[in-house]
Amino acid sequence: MFSKKMVLIIGVIVLIAVNVILLSVFNRRYISYYRPGRIAISLIAPFQKASTNTIRFVRDIWRHYFFVVNVAKENDNYQKALNKALEKNIQLKELRLSNSRLRNLLNFEKTITNTVLSAEVIGKDPSPWFKTVLIDKGKNDGVETGMAVVVPRGIAGQITDVSSSYSKVLLIIDHNSAVDALVQNDRARGIIKGGTEGQCLFKYVLRKHDIETGDIVVSSGLDGVFPKGLAVGYVSKVIKPKSGIFQEVTVTPYVDFEKLEEVLIVLNPKKKEFKPEK
Amino acid sequence: MTYCFHIFICLLLIVVQTTVMPYIPLFERFYDLLTPFVIFLSIFRSNRESLVIIFLFGFFMDIISGGPFGLYITAYVWLFIGVRWAITFLHIGDSMLLPFVVALGVLMENFIFVVTSAMFEQSTRISEVMVSTIIVQVLWAIFTGPLFLMLFNTSYRRWDRWVNEIFVRKT
Repeated sequence: MFSKKMVLIIGVIVLIAVNVILLSVFNRRYISYYRPGRIAISLIAPFQKASTNTIRFVRDIWRHYFFVVNVAKENDNYQKALNKALEKNIQLKELRLSNSRLRNLLNFEKTITNTVLSAEVIGKDPSPWFKTVLIDKGKNDGVETGMAVVVPRGIAGQITDVSSSYSKVLLIIDHNSAVDALVQNDRARGIIKGGTEGQCLFKYVLRKHDIETGDIVVSSGLDGVFPKGLAVGYVSKVIKPKSGIFQEVTVTPYVDFEKLEEVLIVLNPKKKEFKPEK
Repeated sequence: MTYCFHIFICLLLIVVQTTVMPYIPLFERFYDLLTPFVIFLSIFRSNRESLVIIFLFGFFMDIISGGPFGLYITAYVWLFIGVRWAITFLHIGDSMLLPFVVALGVLMENFIFVVTSAMFEQSTRISEVMVSTIIVQVLWAIFTGPLFLMLFNTSYRRWDRWVNEIFVRKT
């Protein structure tokens, strides 16, 4: 009834359809929550860690001992000091602004936890289209899915998958990432989404706000993931279209994702467990 | 034994791709190293052997990548099907065709990635960076792809010879 060619074409079409259906089904789930995924990460990550440690060891020897010993060390110290100063500066500015708004309010609760856990980046995403990294801390260290990942200069990303000793972090420059943020001066609110070339898009910002290049964008804390007031980046481009209700804002992150080596995981405060009264 | 060698090669490629290459400025936009390996499997190895490794390492790549689950398995399986189909009327083993086969493979993988991203993320637009990344990857594939294929082929020939010698000695 059907020629061989016809059967082949129908077969390919069916195969494509099945493939698309399977992709869309799995896209809505995180497969690595299941056992095989965790095993896969646990199998690959130790090799990545060994390789990364070797590369860093060799590079550090070269950089710190054989090359310009003093200059490299001094530079490291200055870089750390600068990072701390920048972070402190942003925090102070944020504190001053929030203090002026809240000075009449009493009994406000401290919502940010200061408990952080340091982790090392051991591997990057194999594809240039997605921006994730693997870190060397997992469930055994108290890491959970959804926890915020930061560095002294600002927000880095969010934990998306956790295995026993390793976790996957979705960086804020990935197009699947979303962070509720606001402009520090203007308090204009929007969502930070991953863009191209390591930039972020500040979406859903109303046209009525006067945002200027150089304005600092901080996390709003409203997404329930990132603590309030953490630096995200600075506004690098603003386009106000003649029509529409939103403006197009591009934000350059403070974090240099190409050189991301160590990160801090913001641990959530322990949940109180209710014990039934006897 | 051969599966162990496949696993060793794939693990090595994944580790190099995720830990070494991102730190070398020239290789920032290098193509997926498993692409020439999948092409090699499709041309030179059996269906059963190739499919087991393709599914296993497609799964591993999906787990460590941030893309939708199944994306790498999809890309590798279609690449395998495509090369197997091309073998029926092209003499792909010919060294003149190898650069273009790897380049087409890289192009096909990127096409699947972009289409899938567009399918699940409606705001995906074809940007300059996207186009330049694909061009750079294709150029890398043209110049280095055949080298990888030849390297895999030579390694496997030696491996097969070595394994055969061991078994002949034992029997």
